[in-house]
Amino acid sequence: MSKRTIQLEVLRYRPEQDKEPFFQTYTVPCEEEWVVLDALNYVKDEIDRTLSFRWSCHMFVCGSCGYKIDGEPKLGCKAFLRDYGDNIRVEPLDNFPIERDLVVVIDDFVEKLQSVKPYIIAKEEKALAAGEYIQTPAQLKAFKQYSMCINCLLCYSACPQYGLTNQEFIGPAALALAHRYNMDSRDVGRSAREHVLAAHEGVWECSFVGACSVVCPKDVDPAGAIQQAKFTSAVDYLTSMVGIGGK
Amino acid sequence: MQVIDADIVIVGAGGAGLRAAIAVAEADPSLHIALLSKVYPMRSHTCAAEGGAAGVVKANDSLEYHFNDTVSGGDWLTDQDAVDLFVNEITKELIQMEHWGCPWSREGSGHVAVRPFGGMKIMRTWYAADKTGFHMLHTLFQTSLKYPSIKRFDEYYTSDLIVDDGACHGCTAIEMRTGEMKLFRGKSVIVCTGGAGRIFPFTTNGAIKTGDGMAMAYRAGVPLKDMEFVQYHPTGLPGSGILLTEGCRGEGGYLLNKDNYRYLQDYDLGPATPTPVLKSMELGPRDRLSQAFWQESKKGNTVQGKWGDIVWLDMRHLGEKLINERLPLVRDLSISYVAADPVTDLVPVRPVVHYMMGGIHTDINAATPIAGLYSAGECACVSINGANRLGSNSLGELLVFGARAGRFAVEHAKTVKAPRDALVTAQAADAEGRIKALFKRSGGKQRVSQLKREMNLSLEEGCGIYRDEKSLRDTVAVIADVRARYRDVTLEDKSSVYNTDLYQTLELGAMIECAETVVHSALLRTESRGAHQRLDHVERDDVNFLKHSMAYYNPNGDPRIDYHEVVITKSQPAARVYGAAAGGQAA
Amino acid sequence: MGARRPYMRTMSKTSWFMTHARFKTYMLHEISSVFVALYMWLLIDGLFRLAKGPEAWEAWLSFIKHPLVVVISLIAFAFFVIHTMSWFKAVPQAMRIQQGEHFVDGKLIIGGHYAALGAFSLFVLILAGVA
Ligand SMILES: Cc1cc2nc3c(=O)[nH]c(=O)nc-3n(C[C@H](O)[C@H](O)[C@H](O)COP(=O)(O)OP(=O)(O)OC[C@H]3O[C@@H](n4cnc5c(N)ncnc54)[C@H](O)[C@@H]3O)c2cc1C
Ligand code: SF4
Ligand code: FES
Repeated sequence: MSKRTIQLEVLRYRPEQDKEPFFQTYTVPCEEEWVVLDALNYVKDEIDRTLSFRWSCHMFVCGSCGYKIDGEPKLGCKAFLRDYGDNIRVEPLDNFPIERDLVVVIDDFVEKLQSVKPYIIAKEEKALAAGEYIQTPAQLKAFKQYSMCINCLLCYSACPQYGLTNQEFIGPAALALAHRYNMDSRDVGRSAREHVLAAHEGVWECSFVGACSVVCPKDVDPAGAIQQAKFTSAVDYLTSMVGIGGK
Repeated sequence: MQVIDADIVIVGAGGAGLRAAIAVAEADPSLHIALLSKVYPMRSHTCAAEGGAAGVVKANDSLEYHFNDTVSGGDWLTDQDAVDLFVNEITKELIQMEHWGCPWSREGSGHVAVRPFGGMKIMRTWYAADKTGFHMLHTLFQTSLKYPSIKRFDEYYTSDLIVDDGACHGCTAIEMRTGEMKLFRGKSVIVCTGGAGRIFPFTTNGAIKTGDGMAMAYRAGVPLKDMEFVQYHPTGLPGSGILLTEGCRGEGGYLLNKDNYRYLQDYDLGPATPTPVLKSMELGPRDRLSQAFWQESKKGNTVQGKWGDIVWLDMRHLGEKLINERLPLVRDLSISYVAADPVTDLVPVRPVVHYMMGGIHTDINAATPIAGLYSAGECACVSINGANRLGSNSLGELLVFGARAGRFAVEHAKTVKAPRDALVTAQAADAEGRIKALFKRSGGKQRVSQLKREMNLSLEEGCGIYRDEKSLRDTVAVIADVRARYRDVTLEDKSSVYNTDLYQTLELGAMIECAETVVHSALLRTESRGAHQRLDHVERDDVNFLKHSMAYYNPNGDPRIDYHEVVITKSQPAARVYGAAAGGQAA
Repeated sequence: MGARRPYMRTMSKTSWFMTHARFKTYMLHEISSVFVALYMWLLIDGLFRLAKGPEAWEAWLSFIKHPLVVVISLIAFAFFVIHTMSWFKAVPQAMRIQQGEHFVDGKLIIGGHYAALGAFSLFVLILAGVA
């Protein structure tokens, strides 16, 4: 296997001893097929046990390993070294407070996720004995893309609105998830979610920079979901004005 | 130390833990639930499951078929009362998941679709493309947000269970962001901490699967059952160990040796039909397929690649459309990690450690021998998996037994009065003292990464797909040595905030404890059954070993291994038949 | 809170867009709308002049023929084109059209918009008697 040596510049911040973050450079001998996460693990195992970062699955599905790599929000386990030069800069995701090193505080996101009521709100409870809801492949397709989000938060890191509003904006992933349930044929909860979506911090805060959809590793296209939600939200508003009432 | 009181404490928020929490919340909304997890729930390793979850739903299927497949798949080491209950309850659970929004793949009619899976006679595996576990986990997590009684403690590393007078009263856990230890007191405690695949070097298991809960229960006096049964999945990507789901073969993929020959036909799994037949060839059970790989490698029939021995997984004949629709993640992973596009290329694969059949001993109500202590999911051993789990039975298991754990924990909580405060507090102080001592220890020369590597390699070498007395004795010695040196590990990071050096060190301790139960149980089981294959004892021995191994903790030495009867109700042990003789349906 | 001291990095309200090429492009795009607005204003002004009478109209015509105004108009036109393109590009995201199990290909939707734009422009030109 071919070896290669890289310089890994990692933003360090240890709240108990550092006043503010600084870059520390590690020299890492790497295998050709490694990802950035492998290089970080090499540092942790062989060079510096004080470096902290989150990871688990190593197969881009748990969403733990979002870092800013060479200026772009990426999953560490999906950032192949072959696509980078010999100097790689790894920083914590933007727009979140740094807890320590590459670990950021995501409490705010978790609250936002909860605020959009991300669960089926059914018309009436169906007995289990009555079997499953009928949902055609076409009905599934209507929301499937928006159910693929792994909560990696790359989109929040890329979204200037989230940063500029001091985390007030509900943000791409949570809004996409709300849209996912709104589009599900089993759900009738759109009006219950409407006050969150249509609020000042909801879909209308989005200025369609579109960065979220560019960085999303799962092709969720949150920007698209938000624009669609704007449309339904506007229609809901208009219909409620003329007294027809929405879903 | 801060004390947090709850009625039910649940450790682990993967599929099993979340299902248990919802069951508690639904059974009695007035109960306070503390749900602890060392990672945010959606990071739990259930998210990695790709293939699907088995449950009888189609007209051509029957509970009896599912029962028989599971019992014979487990080489009769399954408890048949548990399997019976499991096959009876699982479909209801899967429908419940559907009602909660799980995006199951569908037939044109709008009913859920099922796919073929290894060792199953009939197609009965429900799936959500090739991200079944991911969708199940997120559905459960999001649904759990509905219930105000579930209070989550995300990124809390649980260190010890508090057990006194034969009953469990809670646990101690470190809040990772502050480094502060807290005492969680509860009337019932449910451990749902997942598997321990990380004790091996080459595994599909994520970083968090370090057997913490198994080790906690073990130290608290609960036996670990059938730990020698470690499942190798036949198709891992070489290098990274990333899994290519059994769905690849279910959809019709072939396994080829270096001569492009479908070698499984030489191992009583044939005939080699062009389209898949259930329980035959590539749809045989995992133990048999992984063993066939090992034999091929001994015969020099595997391919020597840059990653060592591999065979080929050929999916080219499935076509781009089917691969994109049913196996999109597989395509993504293969292209990214081994630069092979399944649509046009052969994909290199080899067996990889995947699942622990063994775990915390429980009965069919998910109860352990310690009053008030329950366990479900991969960390538990009921056992429905016996000597070899069938693919797509464990996602079902975590639903059925997760829910049962929740319900029985509620029943138990009703009978409990307040815990004995003084003793509980003293134990918690002990647990804290151990962590403090670890921080104070200095000058030790042992590195966590080095010890882990030694443990990993010796398990792979001595306790892998095939074992024998010598290899096992060698491994026993290495593990004992690692365990002794572990006492000399010094933390290089002495800080409080998100100290991952600390957690990796604690995890290594848990892994060593799990590893010793695996290797000692394997050493004493002088027969070959399911995933436990001894080169020096090649036959199954029902006279002496139709029994569960039970490993008991011994603080000063090797675990004590005892045995426990297997529950047999209607299926008497027989030969496991696959291939033409199994009469599987065309997939 | 204990030993915690989460570090909040600040985002400059006035120069955040200089931090990434993607934001610079976005900002340029947004700023360019000033030119588009200017041009609109110019056109509307033209309408008013036309309504006022031939003299005003003649003055306006000679004004827009001034080289400087021509240059500004050309720039504005270029931005118009860019805005149209980026707007069209976004349409398939904002307006998915589902047919059975598939979404209509984004390129088709975009193509449809260009076709409609072309047809409409031609119609206007015919009305204006140019073509
Ligand atoms: C790649 C892969 C594919 C698979 N595919 C399938 C499939 O197709 N079908 C199938 O049936 N099965 C499959 N399996 C098996 C199945 O996914 C697992 O057995 C199952 O998901 C385990 O779920 P769990 O809830 O028991 O544990 P996990 O999901 O692993 O959750 C464990 C939880 O415990 C917590 N925890 C652990 N230790 C601590 C601690 N010390 N303190 C606090 N919290 C702790 C973790 O944070 C986590 O929340 C697959 C497994 C893998 C690895
Ligand atoms: S929408 Fe995409 S980028 Fe955002 S959290 Fe989800 S998966 Fe990550
Ligand atoms: S480690 Fe799970 S997404 Fe990267």
